[in-house]
Amino acid sequence: MAISRSTYGTRRLAIVLFACLLVALFLLPSQSQRLLQYVGGPLGQILSVPLAAFSSVDHGISETWNAYLALQSVHEENRQLHRDLELLKGQNNQLRESVAATQRYETLLNFKQQSPSQTLAAQVIGRDATNWYGGMILNKGEGDGVRVEMGVVTPAGVVGRIVKTNSTSSVVLLVTDPNNAIAGVVQRTRDEGIVEGTSHGRARLKYIPLLSRVQAGDRVVTSGLTGTFPRGLAIGGLTQVEKSEGDLFQSAEIEPEVDLSKLDEVLIITAPYEDADSAQKLLQEIRGDRKKP
Amino acid sequence: MKFLLYLLLALVVVPFQTTLLHYFSIFGVRPDLGLVAACLVGFLGGELDGLILGLLLGCFQDMLSAGDLWINVVTKGGGGFLAGLAGRHMAHITPAVLTAGLAIISCLSSAVFLYSMNPAGIDEVWMGVRSTVLVQAGFDALVGAGLYLLFRQRWSDDRMVTEGAL
Repeated sequence: MAISRSTYGTRRLAIVLFACLLVALFLLPSQSQRLLQYVGGPLGQILSVPLAAFSSVDHGISETWNAYLALQSVHEENRQLHRDLELLKGQNNQLRESVAATQRYETLLNFKQQSPSQTLAAQVIGRDATNWYGGMILNKGEGDGVRVEMGVVTPAGVVGRIVKTNSTSSVVLLVTDPNNAIAGVVQRTRDEGIVEGTSHGRARLKYIPLLSRVQAGDRVVTSGLTGTFPRGLAIGGLTQVEKSEGDLFQSAEIEPEVDLSKLDEVLIITAPYEDADSAQKLLQEIRGDRKKP
Repeated sequence: MKFLLYLLLALVVVPFQTTLLHYFSIFGVRPDLGLVAACLVGFLGGELDGLILGLLLGCFQDMLSAGDLWINVVTKGGGGFLAGLAGRHMAHITPAVLTAGLAIISCLSSAVFLYSMNPAGIDEVWMGVRSTVLVQAGFDALVGAGLYLLFRQRWSDDRMVTEGAL
């Protein structure tokens, strides 16, 4: 097919429309975003078909390569061990959190109340469309009950949060992206801060009080202050603490707990806490048990 | 018809970019096939074609990216349009010119992304330039030149036919 030069009038119309689009985007950013989101709904459904096809090709390639070309049995064993390790890491973290929690007044009750309850399993089907954002595409969308701002985790710890959804897929902003911010707490000292991603593909705990005695090796978990994540999910370990002369706060670099480059399946937290009724029952149950002796 | 062709191209390029292109990344950076496609079509087909394809690709890329919903629409649409303007003023497009043009447009596009990230200081800007902007510009230019060389015969035939018709 011949690609012909367009007429002057059509070209001028296109330029004017593009200019209008630019002006609208810059002058009315939120309205434009809403409009684009609205337009993106049906487009997302169309896009999901080739996306699923390419994703299955991608999985096929990696499965073939890993399972048949790169030593089938070793790979399977490694995957199983990796799963076990992730599970044990998660259990280990829960135990650490439990030990820390029992040392404080009534923390056990809160911990039980705030453990994650409702999650939705999802598969990673792609990476961010650009090189500029730490994002992943999941195969679950609004049709499955996924909403923006929901947290995404693995048994080992925090992965990120949902920033975009359409009917069949959603985009996760990883914890290592500079645009991400999660409320975190140092497990040992209970100092709170904000975990932000860095341009180096790691994360950083900011706004640690100046008098805090945090040190390299301390573990950071979610504080549960925001509705996205429940308390006590592992974020990572501190690798380096920075305390500059004249600064009001300390900051520390975090090595994320989850290997974000090797994710296949994740859990989306659809409801971070037990529903109100069951939490209330649990509270009454524990209070009742306490009164007995 | 041409719009449908571009729609089909966008529906192939964007899912390929998000699912399979990581196998071809260098230092964790992948070429931006959307930008390359929009620029190639712009260079060879004119600014309107580049703009339309760029807007389509940008729209789809924005849906599968964690960034704001406007950024790919603007950079890909603008890239295709700029490439069309550049192509209009060239009597003869050579691979070298195309490579340089793609590298420049890729740098401009990356600059918009870098600006939108609100870098904390000059160190972060420089870090972004070294780690992503330059690598991606080189990658985009090479992929674009490769595609051009691969399909040069067909494109030059189309161009001659079109220009003859005009």
